[in-house]
Amino acid sequence: MADSIPTGKLARTGIAGSAMLKAGSRHLRHAAKRPFLSEAARHQQQQQLDDETARILFQTFTRLRGSALKIAQMLSMESNLMPEWFRREMAKSYHQVPPLGRPLIRKLIMQEFNKPAEELFAYFDSKAFAAASLGQVHGATGAQGENLAVKLQYPGIDVTIDSDIQLLRSLIKPTRYARLLLSSIDEIEQRLHEEVDYHHEADNNEWFKTRLRIPGVNIPAVYRDYSSKRILATERLSGDHLEAWLHTNPTQQERDHFGQLLYDIFVHSFYRLHALHADPNPGNYLFTGDGTLGLLDFGCVRYYSSDFVSLMPVLLHAYMTRDADEVISTYQRLGMVAAMTEKELQTFYDQTLQPFGDWLTKPFKAGRFDFSRRETSYTAEGWRSFKQLTNVHKINDLANEFIYFDRTFFGLYQIFERMGACIDMEHQWLV
Amino acid sequence: MKVSKQEKALTRKRILRAAVDVISEKGFKSASMREIARRAEVGDATIYNYFPTKESLLYGYCEEKQREVAEALKMIDDFNEYTLREQLQQLTETELALWLPDREFLAEVFTLTFSAPVAGAVNLAETRRLFNHMVEEMIDAAIEVGEIPDQPYRELLAPLYWDYFTGVLAFWLKDDSQGYANTTQLVDRSVEMIAMVLQTALIGKALDLFSFMFRSQISRHLEKLGDYTAPWKQAKRRFMDGGDG
Repeated sequence: MADSIPTGKLARTGIAGSAMLKAGSRHLRHAAKRPFLSEAARHQQQQQLDDETARILFQTFTRLRGSALKIAQMLSMESNLMPEWFRREMAKSYHQVPPLGRPLIRKLIMQEFNKPAEELFAYFDSKAFAAASLGQVHGATGAQGENLAVKLQYPGIDVTIDSDIQLLRSLIKPTRYARLLLSSIDEIEQRLHEEVDYHHEADNNEWFKTRLRIPGVNIPAVYRDYSSKRILATERLSGDHLEAWLHTNPTQQERDHFGQLLYDIFVHSFYRLHALHADPNPGNYLFTGDGTLGLLDFGCVRYYSSDFVSLMPVLLHAYMTRDADEVISTYQRLGMVAAMTEKELQTFYDQTLQPFGDWLTKPFKAGRFDFSRRETSYTAEGWRSFKQLTNVHKINDLANEFIYFDRTFFGLYQIFERMGACIDMEHQWLV
Repeated sequence: MKVSKQEKALTRKRILRAAVDVISEKGFKSASMREIARRAEVGDATIYNYFPTKESLLYGYCEEKQREVAEALKMIDDFNEYTLREQLQQLTETELALWLPDREFLAEVFTLTFSAPVAGAVNLAETRRLFNHMVEEMIDAAIEVGEIPDQPYRELLAPLYWDYFTGVLAFWLKDDSQGYANTTQLVDRSVEMIAMVLQTALIGKALDLFSFMFRSQISRHLEKLGDYTAPWKQAKRRFMDGGDG
């Protein structure tokens, strides 16, 4: 049935944009099929009503502490096709959450260290300076005078993830965005369970600190003496978050500089370290006046197999040269199983893969790519060509490594667009 | 031999401790005064000087707990800088933390109190008074510094918080989530709501509204009764006119 929901694995895992693109295009198809589209007024009214419902819903999410808030944030990253107001609400939520009161802070620190904050630290600011994944961050001074950023996890969050997810599912169901959002939730649930263990994050943080050596990139040191499963103490870096930094009206040169740094981190991590800081949440970067970029929050790190890393440039090269056979065979080496005849494969390439590949390699061909001055945004263009991919039913398997890879570079591209940066992209991928 | 006040207090505490242990192990019904006395290393008769009945042991311990909670709150350096919401939450969390080692015992108290609500209410009077006193102090202080508006029916607030807190304890006793995480969340969210209610003096307004509705409904029904009420009205008039004649 031509109109059924795409179930192909390629559509679900995606070669680019994964769930967010798939969900978005589904949503559009759904909208396009509305029977009374011509009754513009009525349609518009409906839309306003839906938007209003969703707005209330997500304002509620942001007010909830803990996993509900985190899920809402993840959804906003996930669904880059969410309406503008939604992203605005979420952007606020990254740094403004209902604060964790002193009683819970006290309880948490007592639970983890068996003594209150005033005994553990030389100084502890009971007012948080930032929200973080699943908690909030406090300034503190260690016994030796260390300047610390102490991340506290909302007590009990690890226990309530499942029930919160359940609750959110039921909240989302009646809204117009249900399909769009529900499709991402399973994946998010899994990530949440990983992220609640701060030991894990401390390990990732140190792993990157020792290995990622790019001039101008600063990764905070971890202080294990003050860290536990639910508390993570790191060196406190200075700098502004993306939105605050943009408010200072940075020059084009500064925008390009930071954009390039972010891009270089991505390429270097992937090629040299076979790992990605796979959470391109704008709250995880600190921009400073002296051009140093602070890289925070290693809760979501993905490691890649050498095969995947070595096949990626091959795939890109094939796309660049529009080599159909090479594109298909590389996908097959990456685990794609397609139940198609030769002819079908050829059509699949011509109609779907090639337009996508043209979009994908555009920045590489351009060499230096300007994310700001475009008639339609680059990521929006990509979504259009990706829409095609969601219609493919016959792709049964594909390396799930694509998911985080795609998400990360899509997230980055969106940040570049937000920054209005111009970035050198040619050399690094195609060596 | 004269026993000093301090020694007396210590003995009292020791007996209570022993009572908690024995009652937690055997349940209230099977625990005997004799065994408690033995565990506390006091004479079989001495124990009755301190606690005339087994019930008084049970509730005496609850009172002791309230004093411990008050002490623990005083130990928090900047407690007086906490907002009312934080103070109430800290009170609730401290109660839970201090009750934690005696959770089985508390369950016994609940079973007993609910099986005989009237007797339970009487026996818990002192515990409730101590608890309410802490809440009243917090609310009064918050009103004094202007953190929340003055509350009509102020004297109702502490007893209401007591009722809420009893609910929290009941929830906690049934909570089987790891680290009682569900209780923590329940308290966190509900205290926030309570703080909001206090912020808007909602309880006073609700009571005002309620009493207004009550009065207007009653008078409407009285009017419906018409003739039946006439003699009453006359009587009232006569009564009011009574002075004259």
